[in-house]
Amino acid sequence: MTIFLQRILGISALVAALTLVSSGVFGDEPMKTPPSPERIDLAHFPGEIIDKVVVPVPAEIFTVLDKLDESDWSREIEIPKQTDWGGDRSRMALTFGALVAEGFVAVQARSSSEIETIGRRVLTLGESLGLASSVRPHSLAIIEASNQKDWTKVRAELDATQETVRSTMEKLRDDELAGLISLGGWLRGTNVVTSLIGNAYSEEKAELLNQPGLITHFREMIAGMRGPSANSTHIRTIATGLARIEAIITDSEKLSEEDVIRLHDISQSTLEEFYFDKSGDAQPTPSVN
Amino acid sequence: MKLFSSIPAFCLAAVIAGGTLAYAYVNEAISLALEAAVPYVEQGFQVREDNWSGETTPGKPLLIRHQLFRGNEYWFWAGTSWPGATIEIAVFDSEGSSVGLERFSRNGMAGVRVLPQKTGTYNLWVLPQYVKTGKGMTPAERGASDPVDGVGEFSGVLDWGVVYGYR
Repeated sequence: MTIFLQRILGISALVAALTLVSSGVFGDEPMKTPPSPERIDLAHFPGEIIDKVVVPVPAEIFTVLDKLDESDWSREIEIPKQTDWGGDRSRMALTFGALVAEGFVAVQARSSSEIETIGRRVLTLGESLGLASSVRPHSLAIIEASNQKDWTKVRAELDATQETVRSTMEKLRDDELAGLISLGGWLRGTNVVTSLIGNAYSEEKAELLNQPGLITHFREMIAGMRGPSANSTHIRTIATGLARIEAIITDSEKLSEEDVIRLHDISQSTLEEFYFDKSGDAQPTPSVN
Repeated sequence: MKLFSSIPAFCLAAVIAGGTLAYAYVNEAISLALEAAVPYVEQGFQVREDNWSGETTPGKPLLIRHQLFRGNEYWFWAGTSWPGATIEIAVFDSEGSSVGLERFSRNGMAGVRVLPQKTGTYNLWVLPQYVKTGKGMTPAERGASDPVDGVGEFSGVLDWGVVYGYR
């Protein structure tokens, strides 16, 4: 009986010890996996829903495309002619976002010379927006990292440049311009992605365009604009373009090749309001094979 | 909420930001979230500059909607800076089902790894907590907690910050 009890106690002690070890009590660096619900009720969430939307940078989609296929990124780079917007800050903000997106394309293409051009253009635009001191360090870092072919650093600096300008504008209570920077980048990123997918279509790639939450966010942002640009032609055109994009994405369970090409055309015409030259030089529309 | 000076965490945040100081002020919760990200940066995760942060009542869950792309791998990291406070983070799909593959929570930092099975909008669930006795904190204890050296009494709100990386 005594031996039996000793065995029981011994096994219990071993189980207790193993439990403690597995819970991290004896580990060098306790690491616990706390309980969290396996399911949550999104319709009746009991806490606070955070309004802020973090817009993914184009590189997040580009990396997936690179995993799925070999894309010709150099063909997608298209740095527009420098335009004097005559103090139109909304167009400058949209262009700034699109230029940063262009930088991400140039990184995918490993094109140091194009990245250097974009770095300088970003600085010029930053000066026009009155943010030269904020942008200059990033611009120089982009060029330096590009010369060293440190692509991870270039991506980080492009992201930092955009974030610095956006957060500076928010601090200056210019939230509308901050939002337009994100929108400009998203439009140019979508333009490039739809071009690449349209040229070598697959359902898997087209799924990357399933971004209804972001489109709703941009539509609400434009609808809520109250500043001097709210009723300008280019903002109204962008609003129409976003509505057309939303209709295609929400109506299609799976985006077809034709859907992708339509999305590309819409993004192209929208970008012609502030980025591409309307009169020409537009990149070729991908054709249906 | 600027509670105390955390120079190492801030330095790490600066390193991740590519050597540039992205913030004019120290957001302690974001600094801790970035500190949690450091080992994963070495594994090739590109950490985004943009992030989410704020203040909330302990024990009140937060929900953040975010776009994820199938084909990428993501880590989300959260931080809260009040001494003794904890934070949890999890990710749910549009149906409300948990999709986190791996999680940790320690020392005011937490993380969750996700490999999205679909491209679309996901929901980040964040829970900052401050449990004084281990049995949960009653409302009466909020604001009546013992003072912590150097940072004063607990004010009843916790700071929180979330950053993410992809590869």
